[in-house]
Amino acid sequence: MGVRLKKQPKIPSGTLWKVTLRLLLLLAIDGFVIWFAMSAFAEGYFQLGVVIALLGAGTNYVILAKDLYPIRWMLVGLVFMTMFAIWPILLTVFVAFTNYGDGHLLTKQQSIDLFLQERYLPEGGNAYTWTGYINENDEYALWLQNEDGESYLAYPGKPLIPAAEASGLGELDEDGIPASVGDYKRLNAIQVATNKEIVDVQFGTDLDGVRIRSAREAAQLEPKFEYDAEQDTLINHENGQIYTPVDGTWTSNKGDRLSFGFRAGVGFDNFTRFFKSSALRGPLFHIISWNFIFAFMSVFMTFSLGLIIAYIYNDRSLPGRKIIQSFLLIPYTIPSLITIIIWRGMFNNEYGVINRILESLFHIAPAWTVEPNLAKIAILIVNLWLGYPYFMLITSGALQAIPEDLYEAASIDGANGIQKFFRITLPMLLVSVGPLLVASFVYNFNNFNLIFLFIEGGPPIPNSPTRAGYTDILISYVYNFAFAAGRAKEYGLGAAITIIIFIIVAAITLFQFKYTRMWEEVGENA
Amino acid sequence: MKKSLFVILSLVLIAAFALSACGPAEAPATEEPMQEPAVEEPMEEPTEEPAAEATEEPAEEATFDTYITIWSDDMLTPVLLGFVEDFQNEYGIGLVVENVPDRNDQFPIAAPAGEGPDIIMLAHDRLGGFADSGLLAPIDLGDKAANFNPAALQAYSYNGQLVGVPYAVENMAFFYNTDMVDTPPTTWDEVMEVGGALVDAGEATYALALAGTTYDAYPLMTAFGGYVFGTNEDGSYNPQDVGIDSEGMIAAGDFIKAGVEAGYISSSTDWDTAHVQFETGEVPFLMAGPWALDRLRESGVPYAITNFPSETAVGAPFSGVQGFAVNALSDNVLLAQAFLTEFLATDASMQKLAEGSNRPSAWLSVTSDDPDLAAFGEIAAVAQPMPNIPEMGSVWGSWGDATTLVVNGEQDAAEAYGNAAAQIRDLIAGAAAGMVNVPGSWQAASGACEGDWDPACEGSALTDNGDGTYSATFELPAGDYEAKVAMDGAWTENYGVDGAADGDNYAFTVEADGTVTFTYDSETHLLDIVIE
Amino acid sequence: MLKNLTFKQRIWLGHAWRWLVAIILVGFAIFPVLWVVSASFNPSNSLATAKLIPDNVGLDNYRYLLNTPEFPFLTWLWNSIKIATITTVLSVSITVLAAYPFSRLRFKGRETMLKLILLIQVFPGLLAMIAMFTLVTQFGAIIPALGLDTHAGLIMVYLGGAMGVNIWLMKGFFDTIPRDIDESAMVDGATHWQIFTQLLLPLMRPILVVIGLLTFIGTYGDFILARILLKSTEQYPLMVGLFIFTSGEFSKKWGAFAAGALIGALPIMTIYLLLQDQIVGGLTQGAVKG
Repeated sequence: MGVRLKKQPKIPSGTLWKVTLRLLLLLAIDGFVIWFAMSAFAEGYFQLGVVIALLGAGTNYVILAKDLYPIRWMLVGLVFMTMFAIWPILLTVFVAFTNYGDGHLLTKQQSIDLFLQERYLPEGGNAYTWTGYINENDEYALWLQNEDGESYLAYPGKPLIPAAEASGLGELDEDGIPASVGDYKRLNAIQVATNKEIVDVQFGTDLDGVRIRSAREAAQLEPKFEYDAEQDTLINHENGQIYTPVDGTWTSNKGDRLSFGFRAGVGFDNFTRFFKSSALRGPLFHIISWNFIFAFMSVFMTFSLGLIIAYIYNDRSLPGRKIIQSFLLIPYTIPSLITIIIWRGMFNNEYGVINRILESLFHIAPAWTVEPNLAKIAILIVNLWLGYPYFMLITSGALQAIPEDLYEAASIDGANGIQKFFRITLPMLLVSVGPLLVASFVYNFNNFNLIFLFIEGGPPIPNSPTRAGYTDILISYVYNFAFAAGRAKEYGLGAAITIIIFIIVAAITLFQFKYTRMWEEVGENA
Repeated sequence: MKKSLFVILSLVLIAAFALSACGPAEAPATEEPMQEPAVEEPMEEPTEEPAAEATEEPAEEATFDTYITIWSDDMLTPVLLGFVEDFQNEYGIGLVVENVPDRNDQFPIAAPAGEGPDIIMLAHDRLGGFADSGLLAPIDLGDKAANFNPAALQAYSYNGQLVGVPYAVENMAFFYNTDMVDTPPTTWDEVMEVGGALVDAGEATYALALAGTTYDAYPLMTAFGGYVFGTNEDGSYNPQDVGIDSEGMIAAGDFIKAGVEAGYISSSTDWDTAHVQFETGEVPFLMAGPWALDRLRESGVPYAITNFPSETAVGAPFSGVQGFAVNALSDNVLLAQAFLTEFLATDASMQKLAEGSNRPSAWLSVTSDDPDLAAFGEIAAVAQPMPNIPEMGSVWGSWGDATTLVVNGEQDAAEAYGNAAAQIRDLIAGAAAGMVNVPGSWQAASGACEGDWDPACEGSALTDNGDGTYSATFELPAGDYEAKVAMDGAWTENYGVDGAADGDNYAFTVEADGTVTFTYDSETHLLDIVIE
Repeated sequence: MLKNLTFKQRIWLGHAWRWLVAIILVGFAIFPVLWVVSASFNPSNSLATAKLIPDNVGLDNYRYLLNTPEFPFLTWLWNSIKIATITTVLSVSITVLAAYPFSRLRFKGRETMLKLILLIQVFPGLLAMIAMFTLVTQFGAIIPALGLDTHAGLIMVYLGGAMGVNIWLMKGFFDTIPRDIDESAMVDGATHWQIFTQLLLPLMRPILVVIGLLTFIGTYGDFILARILLKSTEQYPLMVGLFIFTSGEFSKKWGAFAAGALIGALPIMTIYLLLQDQIVGGLTQGAVKG
């Protein structure tokens, strides 16, 4: 290996203009990164700024350090991968340790701000329905009417004027509201509301002043809450209670809770909750074993069919080859959203075309959606249909990599077609396709869409302690538990479950890595 | 090497600029309203309006300082778009209407990120979750409240506060094929008799097709006395009273099972299949909602709408209330509220919304000459509002599975619904099911918990003594404390002084640093506090 | 018995059995699609599959698709093609560049990185969507052209997957090209870049086309990311637009969806027909033998 390294061509860093170009490029990147990170900090996106800054530093290092030459080739890919694949995963991991979900969707600041905006009408305070007016200087006035039918005119900062004493009133409408007041023209509530600051304007003096509370009501409102940053408490002026945050829920010293909380870290709560939940009392053994069978059979069947097609139709001398292959690609070109549902209809026990054909030919009508094993077979057939074109494409590309002379040598040794396939084609193919088989296995291991759209995990397993179906795979089972069946949408719990599943799947992947070393070794020999 | 980087980078940049510069150049294809053959009156209005409106939209160079954004559904978007021109002309405020079918999923993510709409169209059963998260700003209708169907306002309220403006009430009704059936049956036994006779005579494939296993079958279940959640005295739903395994529900299950076994009820519970069977005259009876009116009319099947058959109780569907709510995190809360109460909650707007939506209106003075909608409206009188408590989310899956097991003949109704109810109770109780806790102001002081008043804190949970009592002892510094009993790690079920549910806090004083023993009796719900 | 056949007959027999198998396979492949076709001509918007030929066949769904101004179908189609093309070109470039050192150079962390790339792919991505939304929102606050509701932002996110499992496929293909080729070039003083562009890239054509097709189809068919990141109707790619037809709670427009899906399949079919020979091309040329 080391010998080979020495044989590698000199890294071209010599010529002056190339160096200059590289530095200029670096300068441009750095300028951009610095500007971007600064903007991110200015917007308050601290994490994003840090990630960008780190990526920028990494880029510099890679471009400047000579021994990282190989990394330069993949620099752009790495940057995108870090930003849009790794970073979201890390954020998901982060969410798993929070209470993020219904009831805790806002940030702490957002929740405080919303409470601070709330106002209440203290006892003895007056409430009115209002009508707005505006003059040419964009100054507002309100016409107020209370429940007793008394009317007042109100300007910001001036005492309320009883209707009788008001002057310059225009024509009154049927409700006794003037069309204009002096040079103030009457506005519709919608037009008044266009002014975002209007809710903060006090009409009248501190003694009698009112604020607009809704599109109809104005009243002598007081702020309901005060936030004490030092104590980290919200003080309710209306009832005097003091609220402190407990796991993201504002809880008072009397045990009352404010209606909504905020996103807060809750440690391993989501994980312990999951492990204590009834989910683990479900038919886990059945679900996991079916999950493995499903994933393995799916990969095996789709790969086999795809390979067979690629193998027998890659012969250019076959007339109609292009047409055949194009037709065979069709399942891959139509959104599975619709084809899965079409398949579901085709497997309908009574009306499905499959059963009608079977009935007329063999007088049998299998209960596809009722009988657990039949449902599993149906799912595998559908998945075969959905998945083989993927492997047809891949294998027809990968087959081209197999040197012709290997076949020639085998022919001389007297190998027949089948022997050639198993001794040369398949092992060589696995060099490049092996990892994709692993990826496909994992994809199918978590193929929530198919299971859900086709049969929703059904048929249901009777007497299961939690809801489970015979075709449920791990991910459909636990997502059902976390999202569909939960009392609310709990992203935190969902993220925790995602991580648990990821750990399982990653273990499988690494296991396969270890015991199927096909790629590395065969690749080296070539 | 540099070359490669250079090429890629410049490609990325060029692409970025090119993309941002070139919006879709071409205008939406043509503005010709689609000419659908044989469409009835209610359909024509909405198809015409968007077409007329769309011609205006490209000319929307008139930009506004302020915009109101509405997320709506596929049905109402055309109607709302019809308001755009008038509204913009009158108020000088932009109105943007977007059809966001999955808005229930998008809203909780988009709104806190500042990307939410100002107004969102919601069914009332989703209000609870959003209101609990602080996403909805309350609405004040003032004296206009009198113009609304009180039941609709009730359903669109959460914790006693109105959180939106309802516009339509929807519920299912009982359809029968007038060619096959002369007088509508009034009991479910009659349904089976009449329908069964048709089946036996070879005129129908089934007497009844269920279009679903939960919502769509509910009117049958209620007829036998089945229910989902019991109600409190004030009419609100009680999540502690799960009725999935109630006698009535099981009786309904037995009825369905017998029907399937006799070949009178289809074992398929597919929504589409059931509707097609009714439309093609294969089945004389169907339970369906107003959303199916269009396709039923189009199919040409002769039908009539009537009350649900009864048995031991009145057959009652769920009712849903559709309306508009204001995003509390919008920049324009007051404006959005004003838009709803001053522009939308008017005779003219409500009339248009009703015509475009094919639903009985929530606005009392809306007139409709559609007899079908009137029939739906009559049934609304007995309808039960769909629970808007978050616990409803735990019900659907298990409930549906149980009905499926019954229909498939896998299990008896008692067994299936019994197990489903157990699953649901388990989910509602949560992970901390069975926990008895004494949350209070003493928790942090004892060192058992990090914060006070935490009903899920394991450190302060009482242990089961095996005789119906639970107890635990803690060391506490001197001071005045308060506490309460909370079950299952949540406040949903809690007991205060005298064992009263939702009662007052217990107060106790520790004179000098010492120990406190709490003992809770699950029979009487009383908490005994011994200080030493 | 076969030995008695002439060469021509044997060729013919070879064709015949393959044609026979093809008929069965094509039947399997297109049978469900016939129902999609049927639904697209069925004005009742029903997916009930009782009859293959609907009662009143009509072009209503196609007309609806093309003539409803709320649903700018052609714009969607164009958006999809544009997004998928740009993503494919960029993504394949990134992939092939990254795969080269994995195959031809030896460096520290090489295997770890390869494993990492695979591990990232197996992370269940459903919840990462929320993170993605936040991320793009923040990008948009700094560079509006890359924010929500822009195609550039969406493409940027798609490129995060460029260093995906396809690297393995590409590396595997590189591995099967004998090293003698580049080693002799090195002796002649060629740089890595020259070897890569002039010697290896032409040999990679089949796999480049395959990976390009996979990326194109994958991007073209995505509606989850696009749904979350694009908001306005005119910006939608086809799949998101079609998704809207099916997500009405009680008024799923399956007919229009089917029609749109079939039209949407045409570009992919066309591209495949055009590029097919590029995939198979290598075999007879024996280019590998150099």
